[in-house]
Amino acid sequence: MSLSALRRLALKGALACALAASLSFTAHAQENVLRVSAIPDEAPTELQRKFAPLGKYLEAQTGMKVVFVPVTDYAAVVEALATKKIDLAWLGGFTFVQAKIRTNGTAIPIVQREEDAKFTSKFITADPAIKSLNDLKGKTFAFGAPSSTSGSLMPRYFLLQAGINPEKDFKNVAFSGAHDATVAFVAAGKADAGVLNASVWEKLVEAKKVDTDKVRVFATTPPYFDYNWTVRGDLDPALVKKLTDAFLKLDPKNPEQAEIMQLQRASKFIPTKKENYESIEKAAQAAGLLK
Amino acid sequence: MAARPHDPAARSRLIGTLTALVVLWPLFQAAEVRPGALFDPANLKVIGNFLGGFLPPETGREFLGYLGTATLETLAIATAGMALAFCLAVPLGYLASGAARERPTLNPLTRGLLTILRGIPELVWALVFVRVFGLGPAAGVLALGLTYGGMLAKVYAEILESVDPAPAQALRRSGAGRPLAILYGLLPQASKELASYTVYRWECAIRASVVMGFVGAGGLGQLMDQAMKMLNGGEAASILLTFMMLVLAADALSGLLRKGLDTPPAPRATPFGWRSALLALALPLAILASFRGLNIDFTALFSTDAARSIGEFLGGFFPPDLSAEWLRKVGKGLWETLAISIVGTLLAAVAGLLLALPRPHAPFGVLLNALRSVPELVWATITALAVGLGPFAGALALALHTTGVLGRLYAEALDNTPPTPARALKLAGAPAGLPFLYGTLPAALPQLIAYTLYRWEMNIRMAAILGFVGAGGLGQLLYFELSLFHYAQASTVIAAMLLLSIAVDQASAWLRRRLG
Amino acid sequence: MSFVLDGVGLTHANGFVALEGIALRAERGERIALIGPSGAGKTTLLSLLGTAVRPTAGSASVLDFGLFSGSTATIAQTAPSRALRARIGTVHQSPPIPGRQRVVTAVLAGRLGRWPAWKGLLSLIYPQDIAGAQAALARLDLADKCFERCDRLSGGQLQRVGIARVLYQQPDLMLADEPVSALDPALAQSTVRLLAADAEARGATLVASLHAVDLALANFPRIVGIKNGRIAFDRPAAKVDDALLHDLYASEGQDLPMLANATRFAPAANPNPAANDAASRAACC
Repeated sequence: MSLSALRRLALKGALACALAASLSFTAHAQENVLRVSAIPDEAPTELQRKFAPLGKYLEAQTGMKVVFVPVTDYAAVVEALATKKIDLAWLGGFTFVQAKIRTNGTAIPIVQREEDAKFTSKFITADPAIKSLNDLKGKTFAFGAPSSTSGSLMPRYFLLQAGINPEKDFKNVAFSGAHDATVAFVAAGKADAGVLNASVWEKLVEAKKVDTDKVRVFATTPPYFDYNWTVRGDLDPALVKKLTDAFLKLDPKNPEQAEIMQLQRASKFIPTKKENYESIEKAAQAAGLLK
Repeated sequence: MAARPHDPAARSRLIGTLTALVVLWPLFQAAEVRPGALFDPANLKVIGNFLGGFLPPETGREFLGYLGTATLETLAIATAGMALAFCLAVPLGYLASGAARERPTLNPLTRGLLTILRGIPELVWALVFVRVFGLGPAAGVLALGLTYGGMLAKVYAEILESVDPAPAQALRRSGAGRPLAILYGLLPQASKELASYTVYRWECAIRASVVMGFVGAGGLGQLMDQAMKMLNGGEAASILLTFMMLVLAADALSGLLRKGLDTPPAPRATPFGWRSALLALALPLAILASFRGLNIDFTALFSTDAARSIGEFLGGFFPPDLSAEWLRKVGKGLWETLAISIVGTLLAAVAGLLLALPRPHAPFGVLLNALRSVPELVWATITALAVGLGPFAGALALALHTTGVLGRLYAEALDNTPPTPARALKLAGAPAGLPFLYGTLPAALPQLIAYTLYRWEMNIRMAAILGFVGAGGLGQLLYFELSLFHYAQASTVIAAMLLLSIAVDQASAWLRRRLG
Repeated sequence: MSFVLDGVGLTHANGFVALEGIALRAERGERIALIGPSGAGKTTLLSLLGTAVRPTAGSASVLDFGLFSGSTATIAQTAPSRALRARIGTVHQSPPIPGRQRVVTAVLAGRLGRWPAWKGLLSLIYPQDIAGAQAALARLDLADKCFERCDRLSGGQLQRVGIARVLYQQPDLMLADEPVSALDPALAQSTVRLLAADAEARGATLVASLHAVDLALANFPRIVGIKNGRIAFDRPAAKVDDALLHDLYASEGQDLPMLANATRFAPAANPNPAANDAASRAACC
């Protein structure tokens, strides 16, 4: 009940934001607006819901109007950052690498969640016959979005290291587009197995949105650096500092801020730097996703 | 007794059949046709659960409000896109047409441009524009404008060429310029057909704008994409119902408008009555409202910033990746796409014929309407549940939608076929089915084949993009490479799509000549 | 008994009376010509005998099958069986053959009622009785057109293909509606003679409507005149005189050819049907 009510609320939010987004084309040059977006690694409506309190908090901290620009496509976020249509973005590890390259190295990662420093991906299946990565040969497999770090790049990299080439060894490879969609794909039998990030998996399990008797985890990747908040390089350094501080001083003891952190699934935000993502860049090159 | 007489045509028939089999077999292989998967109990259960979720359709007040906005947005995208297409089509059609010219001309430049505009599916344009202009209706409007501009221009040019050229020639000989010769000599003859085709295209644009929502161009499609991705049956059902009603309403409105074209105007000094005046008022208002409602800021599109980002973006597509390894991969995608289009069209031809046969048509007509009002991309989501991801799901999705389209056309063609031959055979005691095969089918066949081949030309474009939802082929490659900013690779895929659709157009024209 | 019509009438839904009070019976092997002005009801009568339409009054039986009986209110709704229909063959004025069909297929279609369904299906892939089709075509001087497409034929050739189909069908009741309207007089004469000879040889009943009265008188022992949906006269050819014909065609208001000297049907010199049969069979092989 409450879930669907939330969904509706989220839809409403999405609508408002879509309108705001189209407005934001015109509001392009206005200095007092901070445009924020996020890679759509979950349902766009879910992202809206997660962002709402954080947006309010950032408004209070920066004194600027904060507008969320929803997208349905990972690459669109990177492109928007590169063409200065947004100022601040929640990026995955790999999307950050892409953004870094497309902005000629000017994009700056400011903070990440403590969890993002040792992130993992979960391989899931509903097929009792699949017990290890090797059983995946000849099966259909669902990644998240093609440019997702935890839903595509890193699992692909670790699959390759385990001697499995997704292009050759899987019967069919599909891209669900989002982590929770991957779970839906596997649960519905659209794909024999799939992979998604550990954080979303745990959230779905906690919320009982997935039938764990049916869908189970059969492998987990080694840890790697993932998500961060990135600003475009030519943003006013004072504003960058304000934003960084705002994230870092989020306090789980403050009930309002605790809600934000819970929605962001963060126990704590920590500073991050470009160098953290060099290993992802190498993995991307090794997996052939970066040319 | 002389040597047993034999049929002189048997040899060429046999060779033709064998050739067709040799060509089709690997295509069926490539499309991974496994009818068994349809009846796998596990799959049936999954799809049953999903379709079961359709009931009851979501009717929450907020959701309906959102649905209403999305519907308006879809209508606005279609209308604004058509307005743009029209603005593009008039000059291009004028340039491309050989009508009212002193010397015949081929216009390779304009015709080539039109081929490119039409040959790349609107969804691909949308995907590209979403990248350049950000998410939202602007991308959809531009994509529609370009593709439909190309289609309208080509058809406008052809319609002007097909009417009696004498009046225009007479005007030109008495000194009128080409534009006036067309306006006074050709337009009066062609106006009805031109208007009728434009209205028909607007109807198509509504369907297309829904599909473009799947790549983030707003409207009902975007809503549908989310509902489908999350397998939310209730919402999907509401959206589908809305969409069907929209398509039916557009159907009715366009039928009404076209009927209006048939009624001769009253003899008056001014050619406009109150109906025309109303239309003349409503049309610009609708277009204006569409653009306003969509909030497209075209100045942003034409700023130097935007120009630079478009330039950079397009520059990334050159040169295309032509390495042997990549070409091999694109070749495989090409083959798979071709297979999806052919298998899908063939299955639809068979199913459409079966549904077109029974009399009375009515109950099957409803089924056919339902089949064709669900877009292929939505069918693909459902068929992927039924048979798993892969090209077969794509072929099935294509087949389901096309069955609806072809079934209706077939039924019309069969109704227009002279009934006497079949009736005579029935009266001579032929068993059920044979009067149709001996008496009706031979007469209707050229028409049926022509419809099927035309549809195939459309389906190849659709097959190219079904990959976006996991049906394999070129679409999947394109989606993947665009996501990874591999523009050089993506441009090879787009070029392959273009070549494939041109090749299919040619093959279909050749087959129509051969079989017609 | 080949057919019996007793008080048969047919009124169309719009109230137009096409046939009224028709009483007509024919023994097996009889040859009857229907003559009369256009719109008199000849075609309707043939359709009725061909089980294509039902009468709205009277009773009828064709080939000993009681098809329709009773008055308007109680017309039996039993559908004519396939087996019955296979024994009735109709030559249509404009042959009901799709243009794209090949002549051989069009002719073989005559036996669809006798063949099992699988054979009919197979014949679409490879003609199942080319020799038979050729023999039927040969009797109409069309053997060389066997594998042509029908839309490549002239109107007269196509009409003869339609006749070949019925010859190939070998029905017990042959109905012909203006079978030679597209042929020149010489060809028309030989073709009607062929139909009559075929019927006689096989002991089949032949009912043909003809506009050319001379052809009717020359080839048919029995002439039935139809006018305004009623039988005007029904008598042997020898007893049809000019006055009768004048009355029949009176409303057309034009001069009729004088037929006083026209040839009347006389029994053939060779009344031995078996010999004829053998001859026709020889042509088949």
